[in-house]
Amino acid sequence: MSDEHDLDPRVALDELERAEAAPYVSYPATPWWHFPLMGLWVAAMIGVFTWWRENVALFVGGIAVLIAVEAGYLSWLMRSHGALPLPGRGTPPREIAPVWRGYFVGVVAVVAAVALVWWLAGVPVAAATAFVLVTGGLAEYDRRYERAAARTRARLGIAGRS
Amino acid sequence: MIEGLDPAIHTPKRLAAMAVLANAPSVSFRFLKDFMQISDSDLSKHMSALEQAGYVSIHKSGRGRGATTTFALTSQGRAAYTAHRDALRALLDGPHVV
Repeated sequence: MSDEHDLDPRVALDELERAEAAPYVSYPATPWWHFPLMGLWVAAMIGVFTWWRENVALFVGGIAVLIAVEAGYLSWLMRSHGALPLPGRGTPPREIAPVWRGYFVGVVAVVAAVALVWWLAGVPVAAATAFVLVTGGLAEYDRRYERAAARTRARLGIAGRS
Repeated sequence: MIEGLDPAIHTPKRLAAMAVLANAPSVSFRFLKDFMQISDSDLSKHMSALEQAGYVSIHKSGRGRGATTTFALTSQGRAAYTAHRDALRALLDGPHVV
């Protein structure tokens, strides 16, 4: 990358598109334990509702601990990524945008399915269902994201990270 | 300098740094250095210039080997980047006088 002023707007916009895409497609590989960990976290979040009526202190304490754990994990994830993009902050590359939309549709579907199971079968079964759906759903999302990121990297000539 | 283009961010390195920062809430020194493939001192020089322009905030945490530096775009920087980007697009899309 040079220090020279380049007034060719096409070249400048190409470079700009490449740089804008970098946070979305240049990231370390997701560790295998990320998916079951997230599934476990959501299952635990549902599980603490068994204390909803029996023990308010345990219920509130459980929620607080789980939120603190998630905040700590998110902080570690941001440090390890180096430039973690978040929805609403920037413009995802055209290959990534549909995968993000699919993620939010998937979240709505999982929430609806878990709510239905909760209503029909109670908290323990809902927690187990959430673990399976979140773990599997996130693993599938990661596979789709990586394929889209690989296409973006190939189009824009960006190196991946291990 | 063509009207609408911001001289503080028009050099390729600063424009690239601004483009990365516009797409993440915070960006580490290492990420920018690896992506832009430039030296520590070169990156520091450009980021200091962007900080002085009021476009970037710099956060340092920790000491020694574990120390980390992260950058974030300020609201002024985001506005400047968007305006610069729009000016580049206008140059490309606008009528060409022969």
